[in-house]
Amino acid sequence: MTSDRRPGLALGAVLHHLVSVAVAATFLLPLVWVVAASLRQPGLPPARTIEWIPDPVSIGNYAEMFRLLPFERYLLNSLIVVAIAVPLTLVTASMAGFAIAQLEAPLRRRLLVFAVALLMVPISALWLTRYLLFRQVGLVDDLGALIAPALMGSSPLFVLLFYWAFRRVPVEVYETARIEGAGALTVWQRVAMPLAIPTIVAVSILAFLLYWSDFISPTLYLKSPESYTLPVGVRQLQQLDRTNWPLLMAASVLLAAPTVLVFAVIQRQFLRRDGVLD
Amino acid sequence: MSTASRLGAPLVAALVAAGSVGALPAAAQDPSVVAPAGDVSFMVFGDPAELVAYQELVTSFEAAQPDIDVELIHIPDQADYRQRLGLDFSAGTPADIVLINYRRYAQFAARGVLEPLGPYLDQSELVGEAEFYPEALEPFRWMGELMCIPQNLSSLVVYYDKALFDAAELPYPTDHWTWEEFLATAKALTLDTDADGRTDQFGLGTEASIFRVAPFIWQNGGELVTLSDRGLPIRLAFDTPAAREAIQWFVDLQVVHHVVPSAVEEAAEDSESRFQNGRTAMFLNSRRGVPTYRQITGFDWDVAALPQHTEQAGILHSDAYCMPASAASKDAAWKFIEYANSAPGQSVIARSGRTVPSLVEVSQSDAFLDPAAKPANSQVFLSSLPTIRAVPVLPGWVDIEELAGEELERAFYGNASVDEAIAEAIARTQVFFGPGE
Amino acid sequence: MLLPFLVGTLLLVGLPAVMSAGLAFTSYDALSPPVYVGFANFRTLAADPLTGIALGNTLFFVLLAVPLRVLGALALALLLSQRRRGVGAYRAAVYLPTVIPDVAFALIWLWVFNPLYGPVNLVLQGLGLPMPGWLADAETAKYPFVVMSLFQIGEGFLVLLVGLRGIPHQTYEAATVDGGSRIQQFRWITLPLLAPWLLLLTFRDVVVAVQYTFTPSVLMTGGDPYYSTLFLPLLIFEEAFDRFRFGLGSALMLSLFLLTAVAFVVVYSVFRWRGYADDI
Repeated sequence: MTSDRRPGLALGAVLHHLVSVAVAATFLLPLVWVVAASLRQPGLPPARTIEWIPDPVSIGNYAEMFRLLPFERYLLNSLIVVAIAVPLTLVTASMAGFAIAQLEAPLRRRLLVFAVALLMVPISALWLTRYLLFRQVGLVDDLGALIAPALMGSSPLFVLLFYWAFRRVPVEVYETARIEGAGALTVWQRVAMPLAIPTIVAVSILAFLLYWSDFISPTLYLKSPESYTLPVGVRQLQQLDRTNWPLLMAASVLLAAPTVLVFAVIQRQFLRRDGVLD
Repeated sequence: MSTASRLGAPLVAALVAAGSVGALPAAAQDPSVVAPAGDVSFMVFGDPAELVAYQELVTSFEAAQPDIDVELIHIPDQADYRQRLGLDFSAGTPADIVLINYRRYAQFAARGVLEPLGPYLDQSELVGEAEFYPEALEPFRWMGELMCIPQNLSSLVVYYDKALFDAAELPYPTDHWTWEEFLATAKALTLDTDADGRTDQFGLGTEASIFRVAPFIWQNGGELVTLSDRGLPIRLAFDTPAAREAIQWFVDLQVVHHVVPSAVEEAAEDSESRFQNGRTAMFLNSRRGVPTYRQITGFDWDVAALPQHTEQAGILHSDAYCMPASAASKDAAWKFIEYANSAPGQSVIARSGRTVPSLVEVSQSDAFLDPAAKPANSQVFLSSLPTIRAVPVLPGWVDIEELAGEELERAFYGNASVDEAIAEAIARTQVFFGPGE
Repeated sequence: MLLPFLVGTLLLVGLPAVMSAGLAFTSYDALSPPVYVGFANFRTLAADPLTGIALGNTLFFVLLAVPLRVLGALALALLLSQRRRGVGAYRAAVYLPTVIPDVAFALIWLWVFNPLYGPVNLVLQGLGLPMPGWLADAETAKYPFVVMSLFQIGEGFLVLLVGLRGIPHQTYEAATVDGGSRIQQFRWITLPLLAPWLLLLTFRDVVVAVQYTFTPSVLMTGGDPYYSTLFLPLLIFEEAFDRFRFGLGSALMLSLFLLTAVAFVVVYSVFRWRGYADDI
């Protein structure tokens, strides 16, 4: 019986691989085009055909970008925001998730519903009045305004992720620690967090992405060009030369490269064949 | 006597003594003798090339006034600048000196958030009202008071690429050419050089905005707005025959004659970029383009007057230095505004090519008319002054221009007839006109 | 321990939300104090054609993008859920566009869909097909937004992978033994067991979709051509921050928020009715 099914299986596997490759290639295609476009020599008229590899290859656009606007400054500001906001997020979100995991229903369920409900609040409902609030507090034109959401865990999603992670741990583990006289904070730090490493990594990446890509907050809350972050800088570049595609693609590559790199390094943990998901 | 009152009396006496000791020197000092000092911030918009000019201005000012430090805040894009200005005013933290266009300052003046600079100018020893072109000052008078000090008064001109004219063996534009000559020239310069059915070179590039079409409406004897009995604007006048005809002619440049890129072509590469890269022969712009075009190597260009029709008319472009009422160090801020609009200051900016100076003397000097600096025909900016006109100054004008501009763009790119667009424009902008009293 | 989260949420979400609700009934330009105007803002919104256009555009996007995204995520999850060789790389490839920052992603697609020089039209040209004006043409301008959103279904894909993982292998094996075909297995095992995840994903995706178009619309079209890409978040932003009509902007936001809240209540009721809330 089994031997009869072998050729079918093999054909199925090949087909599966082909389809998977095609799908993966489709998702990667635009990115390949973008990198290729960014390497086109500045000053040439626009290309009339698809250029997989420009001739000649030139990094002139990357240089031009830094010449037109202070991108080093923007990079630095983005890094500062991320360096502070991500650790802060990990602390506040995990603490909140831990606290909820320790609670009994019905309070626990109410808080969960609250967190999920928060997820549904459209951000555009908050820009305006947050802006007015920050104005009152004097946080306008301060990187602090960009970091402020980290104080609440940045996103209810992170709180929920930690909640799920902590709940997977058997209650006995927490009980043991508590019996040995550990306070809530110690249990969180010594017992819960070490058990949630995958979640910590996941939230780190997601938080990094959130703060690195943030465009609306810096646009609204930052005044002086010295405090601009990278997404705002890229937008400025677009305003300066709206249809200079090689230049804009170079700026996009610069903006996207860190997140892509971080993702490339970390993704194996989660997405590989025997990883967390399987 | 209780402890408190035993301590209290000498304490009070000491305070009184200290106060009176402090009061004496203060009374002896004359506050007006103290020179203004401090840090002020100055917000501008413009291309990187324009920024260099402002940086030079700040440097030369700080050399003349070492006690005052000027922080330059540069916002490259005009649209962003407007948003930034609004946000700053609403936050109560605008820069101490802001550059605002005459079409946009009224909304701030109407809300009382600007400090009228007329009185400061009257007291100035460096420069006086009589030294400015009245055409430049006039739009900045709000309810009879001069609110801001204009740095320039440019008109709309035609920039042209000499190399492309030479290649087509066409004579350069004269300063008195007509609409017909203009159109014929543009057609002759719209070419499909590689015969692939797609236009490679356009004769003309322009924005499809009210601000660009206005001078053509005036040249056809039309008006932009209808006035009430009191002389105040109450509605758009685009549906009058003269205005409508001019708008149709402007729209036909794209829809009928195709001398201007279509929507798709404009999205692929915008007109100013095409002009700068030698793919468009003529471009409508104010003086603003000069610093950037000067920087392009191997680009031989000049300017010509707008083509004329039954009447002559140019359109005023003017930006002014304004001071928010909330500025902390008003005297220091004024010192900078004063310097920037005196002969030395205006010369610095004029030399960059950015401005047509609002001071008569500077506009006739080499700082502006330097024969060695492009455009060679800078004189045309001055000779067009007698027929220059300003758009109405209204708090709601920004909205009116925006909404009417959307309709005009729709017609310009062939998505609506001119009559439809005009009707919509009038209907949608009605609410932004005042009662006319 | 919950304190930072709760206090932070109160300050950064609760307070702004309440203020926003209040501002909706005022006329406020942030230069002078707010002036109470009752329901005037809502009447103005109802009368303004732009409100209807923005609502229509947003609905178009949501109704088109959400089903495609959820189905796409499902298809990808089904394709890549098994532990075959190389599946890690495919999963990574499929997730990659999701990690690209909004601003970069918008500029990328602005160029990809450029009507004369972008790869999409160059490919169409090469195949001899007509080249639409995409973002330069009011008829086609919304489609690039939908397409680009389809490339960022990584999160949904992950959620469904997790969901699929929850279905024990034995269930499938038992079905195979009983003679069930692949399609029957899908219909009677996979789909019902995935249902809560699909529902959650759909709902979250609706909320995301309403907001999704903001950064792309700012960077790519600004609402042009002629309001065909004026989506609700962009309109709210413009009313508030371009025209300084904070009262009107707040009224619009309040309306949007109420609509979302209603949707939430509806879906939550469905959840509770079907008993899925316990799974969380």
